[in-house]
Amino acid sequence: MNANNIWEIAESYLDGTMLPADVASVNARLKTDPTFAAEFNENINLINSLNSNGKQKRFRTMLTDIHNKQLTEKPVKKTFALPAYFWRTAAVAAGVALITSIGTYSLFINSANKNASQYSTISREVEHLKNVQKRQQEQQNAIIDSIKKKNAPVIPTSEVRFTGTGFAITNDGYFATAYHVINYGKFDSVYIECNDDKYYKAVLVNYNEKTDIAILKVEKKNFKFAKSEVPYAINNGKASLAAQIFTIGYPKDDMVYSEGYISAKNGYNGDAGQYTLALPAGHGQSGSPVLDANGNISGMLTAISGPEEANTYAANSNALIDVLEPIRANMHLPKNSKLAKLSREKQIEQLEAYTFSVKVYKK
Amino acid sequence: MYSPENNEQQVLTALARGDRAATEQIYKQQYPIINGWLIKNGGSADDSADLFQEAMVVLFGKVQEEEFRLTCSVGTYLFAISKHLWYKKLQRQHKEPTRLFDNTEGDDEGYGHPAHEDDVNIHHEREAHFELLDNALDQIGEPCRSLLQAYYHKDKSMQQIAVDFGYTNPENAKTQKYKCLARLRKLFYTMQSK
Repeated sequence: MNANNIWEIAESYLDGTMLPADVASVNARLKTDPTFAAEFNENINLINSLNSNGKQKRFRTMLTDIHNKQLTEKPVKKTFALPAYFWRTAAVAAGVALITSIGTYSLFINSANKNASQYSTISREVEHLKNVQKRQQEQQNAIIDSIKKKNAPVIPTSEVRFTGTGFAITNDGYFATAYHVINYGKFDSVYIECNDDKYYKAVLVNYNEKTDIAILKVEKKNFKFAKSEVPYAINNGKASLAAQIFTIGYPKDDMVYSEGYISAKNGYNGDAGQYTLALPAGHGQSGSPVLDANGNISGMLTAISGPEEANTYAANSNALIDVLEPIRANMHLPKNSKLAKLSREKQIEQLEAYTFSVKVYKK
Repeated sequence: MYSPENNEQQVLTALARGDRAATEQIYKQQYPIINGWLIKNGGSADDSADLFQEAMVVLFGKVQEEEFRLTCSVGTYLFAISKHLWYKKLQRQHKEPTRLFDNTEGDDEGYGHPAHEDDVNIHHEREAHFELLDNALDQIGEPCRSLLQAYYHKDKSMQQIAVDFGYTNPENAKTQKYKCLARLRKLFYTMQSK
């Protein structure tokens, strides 16, 4: 049997054009001649693969064609909801460049995030360059300061890996932030950048990974966030549905204010330690305080879900109190808010010294 | 007699042949649902088109089986397969699917069904196999590459190929095709054994 002949046999064997008597003799030979059987089976498999691969390719081409034809149809006519979907799709496609990554859950800025979209990667590199320059500037200033005053603030020398927001629990240096901000990628050191532009090193005091709350303390002796005690108290019990809330945080170098309301009493997947908020939030705002209209702490921002859902989640104040419980003895926690009767602008003014950017460095 | 089940079976049989009308019908009914779900779960329009195509190819592969049987409706099947494909894709990208917001629990029947997972796994294996085959085809050189592509991918007849490639008759073209197949086999199985 020559080399071409075996292909011809395989082809007719497969497509059913072979005479029954020939099929029987091929089957008989397959049983008795292992060399022939091996080659014949390889040929059969190859032809089968080529056939189904080709069939699938034609099917894909047709699908692409159908899809493209649907897309080019005017989005006004027809019966079912396609137009709305495509509208939405277009809007999302336009918006997607601005959103860090699909399914991003956490709200902190991750400088090492490989999955970030092109747009935010670029913006981060710019940001990164700016940070380097800023840090160099600050280090120079610090050296000059240290010569002048002999009490230079510590300036971190490595790169910022993550940033989030923190807020004071007590005036003498205890503060809260989201646990994932500091733990992600095993931090080396955490600094806060206060609104006097100085950096202060902080140590972890207590945390709860599940509720995503971390309590830290500024290391520096006799540290004070501001002249007076923290102007807000932590709410006991759950806030009401639809309660107006606001937050301030550091998604960028400047403080950003946003407001909204409690849209569900439980959080992500029904988590009773969280609220679901209708509140715009972005990366870098993890750990931001959520305050009610009277300026009391109702919770702390921890996460957002999918771009289209645009839900924001906050650990509630009960979860915060739980994490504070073991260390509460050392703390002087305010019982009342001093912000209740102030206008929103004045409230923010008062809050500014107690809310700051948290930066995590890794060597 | 007409019934939704009968109708669906007819559509699937037509789909197995690669019938355009049947494919279009399924597309129009199912694409908006999967697109809507994916957009809610953080996908883009391009992701939807890719995902839907992939799910349709899985279904297409499934209905090729001689005694194929869907344990659920086409819609449920495509939705379940889409979810599997999407979560697998996210897993490959080291994104955590459990953290995805998913508000479709109500119509979740079928998701997590091991049979669907099998279908997706088979699909991925098949895709890897086809990719290897395409690579081998790219390496065998001309005229073999074009000739085999014309026959197997573009579904051209040997008569047409003889004309296109300048062979005096279809028999000569056929002889050339068998030589090409022999070369492809050698290359393909060498690549596969690596």
